[in-house]
Amino acid sequence: MATITANITLNTDITNYSVSESMTMRKLGSTSGLDNATGIALKKFTSTSAVTIVEQDEVTASKASKVYMRNSGSSKEDFFYVSIHVNSAAATGTETIGKLYGGDWMLIPYEGAINLTVAPSTASDMTLEYGLFYE
Amino acid sequence: MAITTATIDITSTDLGISLNASTNLSKTGTSTGLEIMDAGYGEVTVAHSAKALLEASAVSGDRNTSNYFYLSNKATDETYYLIVKLHDTIVGRLSAGDWMFMPWNQSDDVAEVNITATNGTCAYEYAVFKSAYTLVDSTPA
Repeated sequence: MATITANITLNTDITNYSVSESMTMRKLGSTSGLDNATGIALKKFTSTSAVTIVEQDEVTASKASKVYMRNSGSSKEDFFYVSIHVNSAAATGTETIGKLYGGDWMLIPYEGAINLTVAPSTASDMTLEYGLFYE
Repeated sequence: MAITTATIDITSTDLGISLNASTNLSKTGTSTGLEIMDAGYGEVTVAHSAKALLEASAVSGDRNTSNYFYLSNKATDETYYLIVKLHDTIVGRLSAGDWMFMPWNQSDDVAEVNITATNGTCAYEYAVFKSAYTLVDSTPA
């Protein structure tokens, strides 16, 4: 059994709200840790075409998988669309999660029922950092 | 201009993973910090079925913007988890003690964030940071 720990800190001066949380990634309904990770990968993009980053069949569906992504650029104008997408080339079957601007990151649980895709907002060089953690 | 910073680190000695990242959350397409947020605590029971934790804006100008969403499942029984959906699409299952952080596009007025408790009541904490929010019309008397 592996131990994978993820910590988040949120601080804002909009109000005095702050969060500092730690979690150990575990199998669904269990105290046992997730055993598998793809490692942290980097992918360079040079077009705006959508690309599948995580295929649904990489994990068992309806478990406690997690996906990390980060736009490693610094532009606050350029972004990656991140979507739950049936097919990276399809125009339908999509639920857009959101936009990752330069430096932005996300860590979400992943159902593993539909692919996760990204599409850069520009054909200029952009790089995505990502990793998959799964049972 | 407000400053909101989100920092993550992920480590696993077993798997040889160590990363750290930090970002300042900005308004859509700019480096100007977000100035709108909402946060709170609550609990959702199994009997509640799916509940909309965050409604997408009914105003088109508020949508397809830069927004960020944080959710933590405060349940302590490891068998209790939250199913998190964007409208009717499952994003994933958030186990007791787990948290998530993601951008939230609000692609349309039904791109709400839903949560469903499974196996037992889940207390939760959430926060949302937004680029824009248009007040809705008051309800006539």
